[in-house]
Amino acid sequence: MPRRTLAITVVALMLVTGGLLAVVHGQSLSGEYKIGVLEPLTGPLAGEGKRHLEGYEIVRDMINERGGVMGKKLVFAVADAPDPTAAASEANRLVTREGVKIITGTFSSRLCGAASEAAARHNVVYWETSCVDPRFNKRGLKTVFRTEIDATGFGWYNVEFIAKHLAPRFGKKPNELKIAFLSEDSSYGQGVTESARQRAKQEFGMQEVAAEYYSFTSINDFTPIIAKFKQLAPDVVHHIGYTNDAPLFWRQAREQNFLFRAHVHAGATGYGSPDFGKALGADANGAFALLEPGPGFRIEALRPEGQKLEREFREAVQKRTGSYPLGGHQLAGGGLWLLKLVLDRARSDDPDKFRAAVMALDLPVGSVINGWGVKFAENGQNANDRVQHYMLQWQNGQLVTVWPEEFTTNRAKWIPLGAWDRRK
Amino acid sequence: MDSARRLGPAQIGVLAQLGVSTVLLGGIYALIAVGLTLIFGIMRVVNFAHGEFLMLGMYLAFWAFSAYAVDPYVVLFVSIPIFFGVGLVTYALVMRGVIHASHNVQIFTTVGLSTALQNVALVLWTGDFRIVRPWHSSVVIRFADTAFNLSQVVAFLIAVALTVALFAFMKWTHTGRVMRATAQDGDAATLMGIDTDRVYRLTFAIGIAAVGAAGVLVAPLYAVYPTAGLQFVLLAYVVVVLGGLGDMVGAMLGSLIVAAVEVIGSYLFGVAWKEVLYFVLFIAVLAFRPAGLFGQRGAETLGA
Repeated sequence: MPRRTLAITVVALMLVTGGLLAVVHGQSLSGEYKIGVLEPLTGPLAGEGKRHLEGYEIVRDMINERGGVMGKKLVFAVADAPDPTAAASEANRLVTREGVKIITGTFSSRLCGAASEAAARHNVVYWETSCVDPRFNKRGLKTVFRTEIDATGFGWYNVEFIAKHLAPRFGKKPNELKIAFLSEDSSYGQGVTESARQRAKQEFGMQEVAAEYYSFTSINDFTPIIAKFKQLAPDVVHHIGYTNDAPLFWRQAREQNFLFRAHVHAGATGYGSPDFGKALGADANGAFALLEPGPGFRIEALRPEGQKLEREFREAVQKRTGSYPLGGHQLAGGGLWLLKLVLDRARSDDPDKFRAAVMALDLPVGSVINGWGVKFAENGQNANDRVQHYMLQWQNGQLVTVWPEEFTTNRAKWIPLGAWDRRK
Repeated sequence: MDSARRLGPAQIGVLAQLGVSTVLLGGIYALIAVGLTLIFGIMRVVNFAHGEFLMLGMYLAFWAFSAYAVDPYVVLFVSIPIFFGVGLVTYALVMRGVIHASHNVQIFTTVGLSTALQNVALVLWTGDFRIVRPWHSSVVIRFADTAFNLSQVVAFLIAVALTVALFAFMKWTHTGRVMRATAQDGDAATLMGIDTDRVYRLTFAIGIAAVGAAGVLVAPLYAVYPTAGLQFVLLAYVVVVLGGLGDMVGAMLGSLIVAAVEVIGSYLFGVAWKEVLYFVLFIAVLAFRPAGLFGQRGAETLGA
């Protein structure tokens, strides 16, 4: 008997020391913690998908330099999701074969629904950093979260900008503004436009003079719309477009000499894409697009901890890509940093503890990368007024940050927009 | 009704602009439809890959302009022989095998070719949107209350010239007569000593040369990307059915009608309605005048 007791004691001691050893090892980051990263790396969405992956990798390295997650080194199991079917099957594979408990991705509104559905079925955390489909957080999935605002958030910000910045500069009250809505008809365009229409009307009493939808895959001529808009004489044109239709509208508006006081868009496509500037050169001057912070962004306007983070992030992006952070880097990197904050607090990937930590997180604007803050709602969506967004304007071939003014050194020009050949 | 939708005398300017827009947009549709109607009318093949040859023409203009700064109007002259060659090669490799097969086989083949070409473009040139921006694409001509884009005016004039040239070729040349004979009755034409394989090869090559040239001409007006052809090709089918198979002048008139429906419908009812409107027209033509508005009754079954 004593011998057996001794044996048990020895085994117990070994277990305890083993456990202690494991703890010690954890602190020196010898263990690894693996999460799944799902992005389209081939196919038509690959360009943006690779940029997101780059953003994740840059912030992953920043996280590991600061102690990793849960005392372990953060590593990725990367999977390619060129289409919704692949997104779902790769999410399954990451869970069943790679054994991950957290998946992050997938930027496109075409992919995030399928990928998160698959993850949620395994009761695994799905951490979306970019897609803007408004339906994403309306499915009652308890393990699905989104750090970026959705398309309705874009509409919210656009109306905020029109009512609180443009209207005073026109010398008008918001309810004296006439606004024409034009939009492509996918879930992105409809999400932004419908929420903007609602807020403009209900909260500010703006006068909606038109609301037109079109399919961006088959629009060949905007002149009938422009002829109609010219007669309605809107102060503001709110146009959500893609990369082929936005330059077409702008070129034809110029040809038809359609004059309006301001033109507002949201998102990284259309007027928010570098292609818009390439298509129009200096003729692009004046168009607004709601985006992540761009040139002119004042880091000093952030909170002290946010300043330090944003600086390090920019330097890391500069070092790796040689340029200012692009939207993909900012959304993926900013989102991954929030995941780290949650894991610091939860110290577990158990879905319930993770969720409790997400709900407890409460940081004001200016605290983290991109000048964001955090406050998640019960449906897993980060709050509009915490995920600070910025209005950028095309000024001489470049998209620069112009609003909110406390965050930027640049100022919005050409308000109200003058004749087409006077915007130099 | 709001004030914008009331067409009163005060809105002559708007009407004039809608008219100009119709004619210019119709010119672009005609450019694309002329090649399609030729192939459709003579070979009785529905070429679902037509839009992809348009896309290839747009890429030719893009690369010539961005890599060598060659103006699309210079590329136009080079594009015709290039795409004639592309047509010959495509015919030899793909179309010859299915020209006598059933319509289903032909449809599967050309749909397959369409998807293959889109993906080749995607692999070679990525899904990025490319822009061709020669000096004339931002030149605006103003006349009274209307405005025209110079590139669009040129595209329209070339569309008219191309239609007239093809019409004359079909009507008054020996080869044109041989082509029409083959379209009317392939078997009888063979018995008369016509090499129908040669006729089909030539028809396909001319059709592809026409749409390749169309691609070069529309490149300054629209973004270039691997699925750019899809934006126009559905319309081209409507135009061809409207105008009657193989009818060049019908294609021109059909293009103007489709453009008018699109422009005026978008103005009066909203742009979301434009596809509803011209597909209703499409179905109505198929139901009541299956040979097209200008075609001969019964012509659609010839050579089938």
